Amino acid sequence: MSKDVLVLKQLSKQFDRLTAVDGIDLQVGAGEIFGFLGPNGAGKTTTIKMIAGLLLPTGGSASICGHSLTSESRICRQLTGYIPDRPYLYEKLTGGEYLNFIASLYPDTTEPGRQQVRAEQYLQLFDLHQWRNNLIESYSHGMRQKLIMTSMLMLDLPLLVVDEPMVGLDPKSARIVKELFRKKARHGTTIFLSTHSMEIAEELCDRVSIIVNGSIIASGDIDSLRQDPSLAGKNLEELFLQLTGAFELQHVIAALREDSAGN
Amino acid sequence: MQTRLFLPFLCSARNRLLGRGAVTLKTIPLTLLGLAICVVLYVITWRAVSYFHAQSELGIILSMKIYQMAWITIFIMLVFSSMIAGVSTLYLSKDNEIMVAAPIGWAELFRMRLLTTFFNTSWMVLIFTLPVFAAFGTVFQAGPLYWPLLLVTIPTTALIASGSAMLLVILLVFLFPARRTKDIIFYLTLCFGILLYLVFRLMRPEDLVNPEKYSQFVEYLAAVSNPAGPWLPAGWTANLLTVYLLDRQIDWLLLGLLLCTPPVLVFLGEWLMERFFIGGYSKSQESFGGYRRFRPPRQRSSRSWIFRKELISFLRDSREWSQFFMIGALVVVYLYNFKVLPLESTFGSTYVANLISFGNIGLTGFLAAALAARFVYPSIGAEGEAFYLILSSPLSIARFFWYKYLFYVIPFSLLTIVLIVVSNHLLQISGPMWWISLFASLLICWTVVAMALGFGAMYADYHAENRSASLGIGAVLYFFCAAAYLLVILLTGFSPVYRLVRRWIFHRGLPLFDTLLTGGWVVAAILVSLVIGLVVSRRGISALQPK
Repeated sequence: MSKDVLVLKQLSKQFDRLTAVDGIDLQVGAGEIFGFLGPNGAGKTTTIKMIAGLLLPTGGSASICGHSLTSESRICRQLTGYIPDRPYLYEKLTGGEYLNFIASLYPDTTEPGRQQVRAEQYLQLFDLHQWRNNLIESYSHGMRQKLIMTSMLMLDLPLLVVDEPMVGLDPKSARIVKELFRKKARHGTTIFLSTHSMEIAEELCDRVSIIVNGSIIASGDIDSLRQDPSLAGKNLEELFLQLTGAFELQHVIAALREDSAGN
Repeated sequence: MQTRLFLPFLCSARNRLLGRGAVTLKTIPLTLLGLAICVVLYVITWRAVSYFHAQSELGIILSMKIYQMAWITIFIMLVFSSMIAGVSTLYLSKDNEIMVAAPIGWAELFRMRLLTTFFNTSWMVLIFTLPVFAAFGTVFQAGPLYWPLLLVTIPTTALIASGSAMLLVILLVFLFPARRTKDIIFYLTLCFGILLYLVFRLMRPEDLVNPEKYSQFVEYLAAVSNPAGPWLPAGWTANLLTVYLLDRQIDWLLLGLLLCTPPVLVFLGEWLMERFFIGGYSKSQESFGGYRRFRPPRQRSSRSWIFRKELISFLRDSREWSQFFMIGALVVVYLYNFKVLPLESTFGSTYVANLISFGNIGLTGFLAAALAARFVYPSIGAEGEAFYLILSSPLSIARFFWYKYLFYVIPFSLLTIVLIVVSNHLLQISGPMWWISLFASLLICWTVVAMALGFGAMYADYHAENRSASLGIGAVLYFFCAAAYLLVILLTGFSPVYRLVRRWIFHRGLPLFDTLLTGGWVVAAILVSLVIGLVVSRRGISALQPK
């Protein structure tokens, strides 16, 4: 079995005339937090959906813990927890019923009952325990996000794929999520996350990849990215702007700042 | 069979039915209305079948033929509706992100989707067909086994319809993207409905009771005596039940076929699911059409933009504009009815034609009210969650309401004018009735459009998935009020219009008193319509104001 939990080889996805993902290569090891960055429409969600088994690739291959995503899809899905950016939740279910349902989809044969214990811990952590018997339709956006986080974290799967993890979370919950991700990674869980927030990526990720127009243009830890002489001394946001070709934006921002200073 | 995937369906149903506020004041009249419809269906069927049954052998054969045709029509309707529902539940359902990402087998997913689709598409058919088939059982004094047979065959046939539909859906979505498949099936369903409607109307079923049409009796008898659809499961059910109704004998082969088909369909469906589902599901997310480009917009006034927004939203949503086919068929049949009326140009027939023309005001008004319920009533709710844009903009709600009214009242007025002018032409109407019918129909049309918009604002459902899904209790209330208004206008106008038109037909003149009386009715009708339209609109506008 490979040491890498997630391996993508020349993974591609074509939508009609549009190439959303264009032959990307990635290896993510056990216990690693991997950030997947890119501007809007770069192909992040398409890649994540392919890893989660929701989209079939049109080229290349992907494997999770050595199992092919194409031929051993069910095993791969057993190993992967997927947290979408806009999660769908059954409005007429209570939070507790929803968690039971998710637990039934990912049965834990080795430690029966452990998922429920962990669910209880996460509900307490996210201040959701007093809402567990209320219908989901009464939850706020942040509460929904925390519920879906709980549902995937309680499963304790080797790979977590997260699309925009902090959207809608209050600062306290965002802090808890970051700490939980770090703790999970220390215990061997691999976390593959896409984000627009450079602070989160810089603070949380061991390595990042930047995807633009479906292709990875830079990959590695932040320090190795800075080894390029033109990028030395820059923070991740400046690196990102430079690498994604949006650096000319800096001139616009500078001009706007000058303008507002003049006023 | 694992039942875990049914948990959301069952828990949601339980929480919905037993949760707080599940039984409200709104549910009681709706339940009573449902029960009343069942009773009416039973009584109508019982009376019709009793009439046929009391006739000779032919009456019995004819009623059996109707019985078989009812089964086949219901079966085909169920197949089509299950196909539309099947595409939605299997491929476009929002919870697919959870289901498909989870380590479950596609066969298990198929069983869950099949049974939930079967339940969702069939429950109403099961409830409303039971009184129809029960009426047959009563008239034919069916034996004791008819009732258990009915309870077995109705759900089995419906399950076969849903199962066959799901198999077709899996294959179709593998070949075409899901959204396109849904559109294709939708158009087919619509065409099937329109065809059924046109065939039924154009073959003039009233001729069946006309003795002059019995010249081809032998051919007719031969045609109606054949067993119905021996290759269709609905034909098996119909033949099984008709044999029992007539001879009190059970055809065990047909019963066996009916009971064996659902498991076979489940087995086939699971096999197809394993082979084709994930490919089709992956493709279903690709058919977003986002690459399509439209012309860049131009600067326009807010009224012009509201008009354009309504029109664009309507024309770019195929579920909406395809309703035009249905309206087209409705108009054709509507006018055809006037064409086939046996009117000869005598004094008596001119009088009858004028009477019909007066009744036609009510029919046109009823049609306008029904179409307004379908298109105008949901138009405020159709703004959806984006309605906050209007609320937070400098455009006043009253002005927004007025623009909406203008947008809908123009096509409704045109349709009314076409219906009245053409039907008056077919009825050879001239003189005061021509103008009265045009005036009253337009007045009714303008008022019912305002009422539909007002009630639509009062009961706006901003979360409905589409316009037809947003027709709730408010729509029922609107329709009752519109019907009551229509009756008031017609009943108050009948006497003065009758006097005036009668004098005009027989004496070719317009006496002052009758003219003044009719003029008084016209003024009163305008005032009543204005008051109703304004009151309902104001209430609608105030319901839309931020609270």
